[in-house]
Amino acid sequence: MIAGKTWREIRMVGLAYILILEMLAIPVLLLWEEIYADLQRSTLFSSLGVDWIKRLGSAISNRNEQAAYTNWCAVMLFFRSTNLVGTATSVLIGTGLFAREREADTFEFLLARPISRSSLLWQKFWPCAIVVTLPIFIVNATMLPWSWSIGLDLPKWELFLASLHAASFALAFLTLTMYVSIVVHVQAHVAAIVGAFAILQIGIYLTQRIRPYSLFRLVDFDWYGPIMTGNTPAWQMFDPIRSHGFTTYLLAGTVLLYVLSWRAMQRTEP
Amino acid sequence: MSENLIHIAGLQKAYGQKDVLRDINLSVGKGQLLGLIGPNGAGKSTLLRCMVGLVKRSGGELSLFGHDPAKQSLLIRRRACYLPGETGVYQQMTGAQFLKFALGFYPKQSLELKQRLLEQFDLPLHMKVRSYSAGMKQKLALIATLVPDVDLYLLDEPDRALDASVRFYLRDVLRTLKDHGKTIVLSSHHLSEVESLADRLEFLLSGCFVSHERLQRARAHLRRQPRIRLRDGYELPDGAKLIRKELDGMLIVETDNDPMQWLRSLPHDAVESAEVGVDRLEDLYQLLLKDEAAPRCGVGIESAGGDE
Repeated sequence: MIAGKTWREIRMVGLAYILILEMLAIPVLLLWEEIYADLQRSTLFSSLGVDWIKRLGSAISNRNEQAAYTNWCAVMLFFRSTNLVGTATSVLIGTGLFAREREADTFEFLLARPISRSSLLWQKFWPCAIVVTLPIFIVNATMLPWSWSIGLDLPKWELFLASLHAASFALAFLTLTMYVSIVVHVQAHVAAIVGAFAILQIGIYLTQRIRPYSLFRLVDFDWYGPIMTGNTPAWQMFDPIRSHGFTTYLLAGTVLLYVLSWRAMQRTEP
Repeated sequence: MSENLIHIAGLQKAYGQKDVLRDINLSVGKGQLLGLIGPNGAGKSTLLRCMVGLVKRSGGELSLFGHDPAKQSLLIRRRACYLPGETGVYQQMTGAQFLKFALGFYPKQSLELKQRLLEQFDLPLHMKVRSYSAGMKQKLALIATLVPDVDLYLLDEPDRALDASVRFYLRDVLRTLKDHGKTIVLSSHHLSEVESLADRLEFLLSGCFVSHERLQRARAHLRRQPRIRLRDGYELPDGAKLIRKELDGMLIVETDNDPMQWLRSLPHDAVESAEVGVDRLEDLYQLLLKDEAAPRCGVGIESAGGDE
């Protein structure tokens, strides 16, 4: 019942999310030939004094065009599109999950139904989780035929792994927003808190010395590049002991935030 | 002796330093209709929310159907329907969609009552709820609350935003539910209507029930306050002081001696109409509000209306 209602409320956002991701990706890929030629001639990246930008520039201007294209896709599909649009969509959907119900005086109505609060939380969460994660896989899968149309290819398994990592990040942000939406009662306040947190994280990321402390460090080119080019195998994404295991951290963060949301849900009053 | 569906002993609820409910004691038997009366902020909504497990009590005992709402609220909500004080209806749904959604949680429904209410309320169910008036939204919420076939109905101001004819109809519906053995607890500001409907009334004032003795005192006091309407040109005669004048011109006075004697002593053509010994609930309510010093919790009163 509640899952169906949630799905009806967010399905248009999900559709818009797919379209935006697709619209951001297609021109970048179709213009690849010209961009690659420019990159070969450009000395912009190497002249910049920032290490990570140098690494990024070197990767996307690789003499091996297939390798350069794969890195380019890592930058454009993941570092740019899913990080920004995925985070924004998670915040947009998560903000209204409970705070909007409170503002519309329907939260008390929902809590009074013969359904447990755990079930209410879960039925609100899973349709949103699907809406923020599934489009990442769908849109990135469509990049395969688009790439073939320009005579290039993308590694399917690596594309899937990178999508999984991006989806884990979007899911973590959705769960964070959901938690705030339970604890804070006004939608605008939820958006302001999570939005400020995201901007702060981006600010930290763009500041050279404190960059490692940003959450966006978990989803930057330094991880997507190696994942897409096959230099980071799946076990390294998930094993935090023998490797960095960043995907596991994101999933563990999601679980932790879900548990916090569940706890807040048990205690909340209309 | 009827089985107690609701048992409350020493119930307390505080928000921070503010005590909202203090030492509430109450038992409601199966098939009873309890009316909760009290000014805004007296704690009526909080009491109903505690009963259905939406808010956790700070102290005392509370059980519905033998279950503690703080621990087993789902078991209670399966057998009880609650109408919140704020009309919670989804604006983006049509009336029909909302009813399908709200009633979908309950396996058993009274289809006959649903049909009756839909016919009587005559709601445009195909239209979005956002286009409904406040009264229409309340009617929709009422259908969603009363149609599920449960044992207990907890109604927080069910007559809010309803016009007199609908309130009258609602009273009939609640009577029918009671006749079918359903237990009802309702809070309302339409005091006379609750009085005519409820088996029992509880006055909630500053978080606790007004004691039986205090109510009796207040009622006795009110019986010494005749309500009279004087003809034009007549002043209030000696032997009584004016307490207040109603908007319709009715004077509420307090007599020095027996009110009947005082009335008999008035010039025959001075009085257009008079009432003595009618302790209206509205007056009682105002009197108790004025005399709010150190209210003590206790048992309520049997309604003057009661069972018919």
